[in-house]
Amino acid sequence: MTHGTRRSSAARLLAACLAVLLGIAVLAGCARAPVHTGNVLVIAIESEADVLDPQVAGGWVTWRINHQIFEPLVDEDLTIPSKDATVPPLKPGLAASWDISKDGLDYTFHIRRGVKFHDGTPLNAQAVEYNIRRMWDKNSPQYSVKAAGQTNFVWKFVDNVATIDDYTLKVHLKQPFSEFLRMLAQGGNGSTAIMSPTALKTYGADIGDHPVGTGPFKFKERIRGERIDLVRNDDYWGTVPSIDGVVFRPLPDPSARTAALRSGDVDIIAVPNPDSIDNLVKEGYQLSEGIPPHVWYLSFNMRDKYTSIPQVREAINLAIDRQGMADDLLRGSVKPALGVQALSAGGYVERKDAYDRNLAKARQLLASVGLANGFETTLITSTDGSGQIMPTQMAEFIQENLAEIGIKLKIQTQEWISYLGVWARGMQDGVGMAQMSWGMTSPYWLYIVTSSELQAPNGPNVGYYANPALDRAMDNAIKALDPQEADRWWRQANNIVSDDAALVPIVNDKAPYVLAPYVSGFVSASEEWYDLTKVRLKQ
Amino acid sequence: MTRVIGSRLLSTVLVLFGVSLIVFLLLQMVPGDPAVTILGSGATADAVAALRSQLGLDRSLPVQFFSYLGGLLHGDLGRSLTISAPVTDIMLPRFANTLILTGAALLLCIVIAVPLGVIAANGQYGIFDRASMMISLAGASVPVYWFGLLLIGIFSITLGWLPTSGMYNPRFPGGAGDLLAHLVLPAIAAALVPLAVIARMTRSVMIDILAQDYIRTLRASGLSTTSVLWRHALRNALPPIVNIIGLQVGYLLGGVVFVEVVFGWPGLGQQLYTSITQRDIPVVQAGVLFIALAFVIINLIADVAVGLLDPRTRRRAGS
Repeated sequence: MTHGTRRSSAARLLAACLAVLLGIAVLAGCARAPVHTGNVLVIAIESEADVLDPQVAGGWVTWRINHQIFEPLVDEDLTIPSKDATVPPLKPGLAASWDISKDGLDYTFHIRRGVKFHDGTPLNAQAVEYNIRRMWDKNSPQYSVKAAGQTNFVWKFVDNVATIDDYTLKVHLKQPFSEFLRMLAQGGNGSTAIMSPTALKTYGADIGDHPVGTGPFKFKERIRGERIDLVRNDDYWGTVPSIDGVVFRPLPDPSARTAALRSGDVDIIAVPNPDSIDNLVKEGYQLSEGIPPHVWYLSFNMRDKYTSIPQVREAINLAIDRQGMADDLLRGSVKPALGVQALSAGGYVERKDAYDRNLAKARQLLASVGLANGFETTLITSTDGSGQIMPTQMAEFIQENLAEIGIKLKIQTQEWISYLGVWARGMQDGVGMAQMSWGMTSPYWLYIVTSSELQAPNGPNVGYYANPALDRAMDNAIKALDPQEADRWWRQANNIVSDDAALVPIVNDKAPYVLAPYVSGFVSASEEWYDLTKVRLKQ
Repeated sequence: MTRVIGSRLLSTVLVLFGVSLIVFLLLQMVPGDPAVTILGSGATADAVAALRSQLGLDRSLPVQFFSYLGGLLHGDLGRSLTISAPVTDIMLPRFANTLILTGAALLLCIVIAVPLGVIAANGQYGIFDRASMMISLAGASVPVYWFGLLLIGIFSITLGWLPTSGMYNPRFPGGAGDLLAHLVLPAIAAALVPLAVIARMTRSVMIDILAQDYIRTLRASGLSTTSVLWRHALRNALPPIVNIIGLQVGYLLGGVVFVEVVFGWPGLGQQLYTSITQRDIPVVQAGVLFIALAFVIINLIADVAVGLLDPRTRRRAGS
């Protein structure tokens, strides 16, 4: 080959490359073809789902799917947006109604008639009892250690369960439990949703691959890592969904989720990158946000020489710039937390006096206990994880805030699962604060994280907080027979925790979803999960 | 040759035993408890203890390991701790998906990189050589994650030609055509680095060979450039090229995890990452075993191929 020939072939190659680039540029200007949804909704979720066994599965990601297939006895009305209902009202689920005895010990559930599981098994009291025994009765053959572990806070006070007749079930409690009905409607860390007893008996340990419930959608297929397909249940007892089906597609990378939405591969994305939300909205996509019961909070180590001092805890609470974190770091995707619990948990008390930034008072408090020059302590948190938002950056933000009052904060991070194990053990010597994000629409959550009987490692009170006045207030709230009285006690309990500065609530997530322009009827209720029966795909 | 293959297969068993032991021990050293993972932040100590017992995590480490090994000998890889499903059911489809992706990427590498290297070597220091080597150097340096997003931006979002993620259309899952459409972009992204390495290696080997006397003799005897290049020079260059391709397959299997994450490809790498973060020991062990097995087998194939291509190696193996 001569030099000249080489030059001409190189020139041809360059010309071809230029032509391709030009072609791409021209085609880029062409309008994209409209999306053909086939009336099937595709939701890009942030991680692979756990097992499709609602009583065993952990995490909100999975319950958002299981909630479409399965239903509990008592449910929450998630068709009402957060702005119209800060706490989602309870509504009958598989129990059409219920009676509570005057002493608050007997709950008689009247099971909904004419309902069938997706496999044709009729729903009756026996089916419900079979399910409850799976979660609660160690002596029953269907007892599941995992299901019991996930739902133990719901069944904690249950003494006995009995089928009265085909459609009546009685649950007898050892003591009154004012939050029992609300807890029956919870998901996330285990749910009490009812599964087909026939399927449970047939599939045993593999039930998660054959989920059979009574919900508005039926399980069709799961290809792990690729998708979970549900189809409309045309025999649903309630409002039959408008869409033919829903596909949950795990896309762990936020950029990949955004790209999939823009290309029309998916119709809704969960957990959008905060930086991409504004642009997506400008492009015509819809942002849907709510006020789910999510609290990103710190617990104090009550055995630490500094954080055991109430004034120190109060000072730390006052030094943190929650508004700044919400606006600047997290671009408005969260709200500053001004109460111990989220607004969507009953018994919420807003305490601006305790949680609005006040550096002067914080410094004064530290000086009052001889710590005007500050001190050094350690905060433990994760680098990632369910509901954790951006834990490392948020911890660094807190670090800067506390430096302003002289507290030198060291941050120790671990990836989520390692962290969960370390957190559950309880704070060790030298650790002043531990971070977690969590919440429920029940104020009972406060009992779970602050009760003295649930101090780590026996429970999630990882800072060993013990306050007899709080325990009494929560006990009264739990045992109260009158809902208003219970609410009063829960409010008092919230106030005690705020007065004692036992926790540092930082922000409440808004759980943003971004929807394609043709999606309607998607409601962000005050919950971590959603109802898809009213979603429509207009094209 | 048969003896070589036999001894390599025997060593494969030892490698796999060693790999599973090391993975098991490493996972024990990392903090985190699968029982706490499963039960989440609301777990009580009693519930965790009961679950640990049910999962067999309260047994001694040697008992846990040899129980796993015993199952392995019967073809039972155990059950996942977190997904409540047999490990084989989880990992085999994932492994097949990863093989599809790496296979397609490998095909792209061979079809593009080898001719690119040969043409570049033939016109050493020419424009094509400089351009192609500069591009391949850039290719080897570009982060796969970024390149994947760039491909999605151009071909999926802007042009709408190809899907962004997954293996099949979620609404209308199709057959081979649907799979191919989903395969194009991840295969290109996965091929980028090995393609650049193979192209540069091919060029380098070919330059050495083209400088040898017998090539000059072939040219002098009037053979066409095409014949000299593709029939004579390339054939002699193939053994080292095949070796490097074999090694790049190993790189592809290990490095494809980034591509799987960006393109939502349900492969082994993605599952392995999730399972490591959940301390799901049986799944991690199976995943590493699959990769080790594939790596050993592919390199064995490469060695056999080199033997078949190069009579000298065959003779050495026989002696």
